[in-house]
Amino acid sequence: MKNWYLFLLSLVAAFVLFIVLSFFYNQNTPEELELSEPIRIVLKSIEGQPMDFWEVATQGIDEAAKEFGINVRISGPRFEKEINRQINIMNAVIDERPPLIVLAANDYKRLVASVEKADSLGIPVITIDSGVNSDIPVSFIATNNIDAGEKAGEEMERLISLNSRKSIAIVSHIKETATAIDREAGVREALGGENIVGTWFCDVEPEKAYLITMELLKNESIGGIVALNEMATLGVARAIDESRASDRIFVVGFDNSVRELAYLEEGIIKATVVQRPYNMGYLSIKTAVEYLKGNKVETFLDTGSILITKENMFKREYQELLFPVSKK
Amino acid sequence: MKRTLRFGTLESRIYMIFTLMIFATVFVMQLVSFRFTMNTVRNSTLENNRILLGQLVTQIDSYIEGMEQISLAVQNDVQLLEYLQEEKDPSSAEYSFIQQRLGNYIQARNDISDIIIVGHNGAVIAGDPETALNPWTNVSEKEWYRDAIDAGGQTAVSSSYVQNIVAGRYSWVVSLSREILSPNRNESLGVLLVDLKFNRIKDLCQSLVVGSKGYNFIIDSEQNYIFHPTQQLVYSNLRNEPLESIYSILGSTEEKFYHSDSKYFMIETSSITGWYIISVTYDSDIVTDWQYVQISYTFLGLVLFLIVGFATNRISTGITKPVRKLQEIMKSVDTGEFRLVGQIEATDEIRELAREYDTMVGHVRKLMDANIKEQELKRKSDLKALQAQINPHFLYNTLDSIIWMGEMGQNKEVVLMTSALSKLFRISISKGREFISISDEIAHVESYLTIQKMRYKDKFEYSIEIDPDLYNCTILKITLQPLVENAIYHGIKEVDHKGTIRITGEEQDGNIKLEVIDNGKGMTKSEMAELNSSLNISTDSSGLSRYGMGVHNVHERIQLYFGEDFGLSYFPADGGGTRITVLIPSRPLEVL
Repeated sequence: MKNWYLFLLSLVAAFVLFIVLSFFYNQNTPEELELSEPIRIVLKSIEGQPMDFWEVATQGIDEAAKEFGINVRISGPRFEKEINRQINIMNAVIDERPPLIVLAANDYKRLVASVEKADSLGIPVITIDSGVNSDIPVSFIATNNIDAGEKAGEEMERLISLNSRKSIAIVSHIKETATAIDREAGVREALGGENIVGTWFCDVEPEKAYLITMELLKNESIGGIVALNEMATLGVARAIDESRASDRIFVVGFDNSVRELAYLEEGIIKATVVQRPYNMGYLSIKTAVEYLKGNKVETFLDTGSILITKENMFKREYQELLFPVSKK
Repeated sequence: MKRTLRFGTLESRIYMIFTLMIFATVFVMQLVSFRFTMNTVRNSTLENNRILLGQLVTQIDSYIEGMEQISLAVQNDVQLLEYLQEEKDPSSAEYSFIQQRLGNYIQARNDISDIIIVGHNGAVIAGDPETALNPWTNVSEKEWYRDAIDAGGQTAVSSSYVQNIVAGRYSWVVSLSREILSPNRNESLGVLLVDLKFNRIKDLCQSLVVGSKGYNFIIDSEQNYIFHPTQQLVYSNLRNEPLESIYSILGSTEEKFYHSDSKYFMIETSSITGWYIISVTYDSDIVTDWQYVQISYTFLGLVLFLIVGFATNRISTGITKPVRKLQEIMKSVDTGEFRLVGQIEATDEIRELAREYDTMVGHVRKLMDANIKEQELKRKSDLKALQAQINPHFLYNTLDSIIWMGEMGQNKEVVLMTSALSKLFRISISKGREFISISDEIAHVESYLTIQKMRYKDKFEYSIEIDPDLYNCTILKITLQPLVENAIYHGIKEVDHKGTIRITGEEQDGNIKLEVIDNGKGMTKSEMAELNSSLNISTDSSGLSRYGMGVHNVHERIQLYFGEDFGLSYFPADGGGTRITVLIPSRPLEVL
């Protein structure tokens, strides 16, 4: 057939039809983010106890990944104290050029270099839980630890008013960590008018916190201890339990391990401030997706904290938070 | 022929219209089918979903029901009832016996977390002998305990919660509790608690889901979440379920599902627990591959466009090709050539048109032929009239001569001349026929010569030497007479010596050649040439004398009837004078 122009015209018409149809279908199919490479997540530690903070956070991450239809890959050192290892892992991840990195920094200062390297390669970074000393991360998703500290401080203020002993001690987990600094600041802010005898550091070891508490027990004026993380709380609570001092010294702790909750039920710990790791994990991925879609994201997102006491620990809305239903 | 698509042609218009129509059709088609497919897929997916949801409810119900059977069995245990009615004694044989039996239930069903009996007599029997009760909890304040007392012997199903009755253990359970009544049914002995591992229900909810994103959740009638896969998000308001709208479709028979935010919610009630189990399906899981649909519709469009293209081409070829041919043939009219179309491969309409055209051309041709004939006839009749004009002067002169001869008493001459005249006219009339035999023509010219010879008193002699074989051949009448007349008036009359006129005739190459030769004045060469050429000039424009006109007419008539190969020509005769040759085709005489 010599009528090539008919064939050409038909092709043109079909092409126009295709364009019209694709316009039509695009309106009818929701916009989805498609990534060739998974989003990489570098956590503080990946081999914790079941139901601990990072496992729950991982559940939140997985849920968000499922909801937004993207792939994620999680890595991290075995223990929180392995800062160098986290730096190495971070650098290896950067070399794979992922579309985005979510980082829970084990050190406020030493991971800045890695974050800067990622930025120079055009890889956006979102920090969660613990940030870095840099403006580079597009978003920081964490518990507002000053807020959380204030909640603990306010509860301690209420408790100390019922106690004849008025001095308060703070047992912190580690010196140069943003969470410790912020929580302590919050506690001190809330307890402005009270007598704070000092801050002790347990270096994230319950044993050390136990020994510190044993030492503090010798001080007859101390009526309250604020422990700033799980390890510190556990150490303090064990010392109080063993010394049967729960009626003399009131403890307000942080986090929600099963052991802590048992202490709470027994009355050894009077209150604990818990974070929302599930929401943190979920929001980190949600924010990452928003950012990659080109939408504006908040530079800081507070995932919130809740003060749990014996009275509200079995409330319906906190049960799942305190006792996450394990995947296993 | 140029084969490109020009706008304005029939072909391009047909193509455009059809393409636009197909375009609109395909678009509307896919719109309709989009809705249709969407509905079909959605309905079937939702139907499957409903079945799945029904299964889920059935499984949950039968699961709870199975547990209820256990609780019923336990509560009907006579030994247990007796034990509860008596004083408590944890060290007794009955206690361990009962405990062992409860333990067996837990062993047999790995989805039972705990079976605990709390007696009003202070006895607490746990299925698991290792179990130590949580000293910090007050059983009688527990919801399951109060619900069981309120239910009065019926099973109370709790919501999901964290059970803390066992020291150091916090497990998610759903509790079935039931008040244990004495056999005579009027005394409350205690409460039986069967804790079901919540994971079992959770696994059920999470296994029976649709699509990659779909999920199930359970709420009770007070809008508390029994189970939600992302309970924390729900409680911290990061995810909200439209509970009000979901409840609104509960009693409705028409609304089978609730659609919002690209999600479908379906609700089923578990009759045993009173829970509402809701399944959520995402739009994106229902129909995933629109790209494929789009491509197939585009392909369909392309195929249709191509078909239209070729069909248009066929149709227009069927119309325009014969029309063009017709047009070409019609153009031949311009050149005066009337061509017929004849048989043509085309549609009926075009063939009809062609036939009509042919008929018309036929008519035109006939008309033109008739016209030409008429013209010719007119000319002929003109000539005939001219022919008739030859005679008057000659007639008057002859009649004068006769009168004069009569007066002179020359009766013999009068008779001769009159009979010659009579013969002359008879032949020249010849009943109106144009063609006569050569013998008649000879008689005619002889009559004329006789008369002239008498009038001019033997001024000339004449001889007729025509081959007798030709006598029966045809000749236009009055061919020779004008030539003879011419020879007399322009040749012999002008000279003093006695003239001679010779008429010869012979066959030459199948034609007849007649000659009239005189020895008269003759002509110069240039006069001769002029005369010859003037023969072929139309009569009207030449200023010829009457005699010249006669000769000219003869030539014209011969050419008119026989064609341009025939006619007259002047030659100089031997010894002065003029020779006129007449060439006509040799034809036997026919009765016309």
